[in-house]
Amino acid sequence: MSGEEEENAAELKIGDEFLKAKCLMNCEVALILEHKYEQLQQMSDDAGNHVSQVFEKSQQYVKRFSRYKNPDAVRQVREILSRYQLAEFELCVLGNLCPETVEEAIAMVPSIKTKGRAHDDEAIEKMLNDLSLIKKFE
Amino acid sequence: MFFHIVLERNMQLHPRHFGRNLRENLVSKLMKDVEGTCSGRHGFVVAITGIENVGKGLIRDGTGFVTFPVKYQCVVFRPFKGEILEAVVTMVNKMGFFAEAGPVQIFVSNHLIPDDMEFQSGDMPNYTTSDGSVKIQKDSEVRLKIIGTRVDATEIFCIGTIKDDFLGVINDPAAA
Repeated sequence: MSGEEEENAAELKIGDEFLKAKCLMNCEVALILEHKYEQLQQMSDDAGNHVSQVFEKSQQYVKRFSRYKNPDAVRQVREILSRYQLAEFELCVLGNLCPETVEEAIAMVPSIKTKGRAHDDEAIEKMLNDLSLIKKFE
Repeated sequence: MFFHIVLERNMQLHPRHFGRNLRENLVSKLMKDVEGTCSGRHGFVVAITGIENVGKGLIRDGTGFVTFPVKYQCVVFRPFKGEILEAVVTMVNKMGFFAEAGPVQIFVSNHLIPDDMEFQSGDMPNYTTSDGSVKIQKDSEVRLKIIGTRVDATEIFCIGTIKDDFLGVINDPAAA
């Protein structure tokens, strides 16, 4: 099967199509699916009959694994992470897993160290601190 | 990982759907056909969020059906090898455990569970460390790394590991 030979998210080898695509954090997907679900409820009389199992499972998953619930906080997270030269994929993994230490961040997203973008430990630490502040004041 | 991408599809419509509600019919047929499906390239289509463009319809020779090329935006879930994500444990047995991340099922073999965790059978089969401090059982939340993906006709199936650093049961400090 083509495309599978070199795939490796740890090295950001996820194919051009996905590298350039807009990536979504779980908390963002939760807002989108919630909105879509409400739209569907309004449109039809028989509630819940129109969503696929994939939709339901995804909605339960993102609700459970969203680190930030408040839409403003979600926006802030993306804004803060966008200040550092991160690929969309890396940004979302960090936003989803919320590593607490620099060591953990590098283990979760090894590519932030290997892509030659000079992400030294200090910059990563500042980024993690900014993230945790949002959580505190959410 | 969830992505928001634009996909294209050729929709065939029977002339009985033409008229004022043509576009609505097209969109609802699209949703019925595509939402919930899975492909090896794009993963699971979770939800269609908008229609970008509907092209000119082309009448098919001999049938009278009309084909419309439709460009639509959607949320997809596509797991990648090497990706680290969180999942919910759904079943535990002596071969390992099954977990779910959204629509995708992931299997973690006992070979890829840390050696200090042992399988305990019983009403609630689980993997526990020798001092009992860490336990993996049904409904536990774990952080795992995907090490392989397999695509068949209708779904993507993954295998994962929790043997690396910072992987394993997620400890929620609020619950401790």
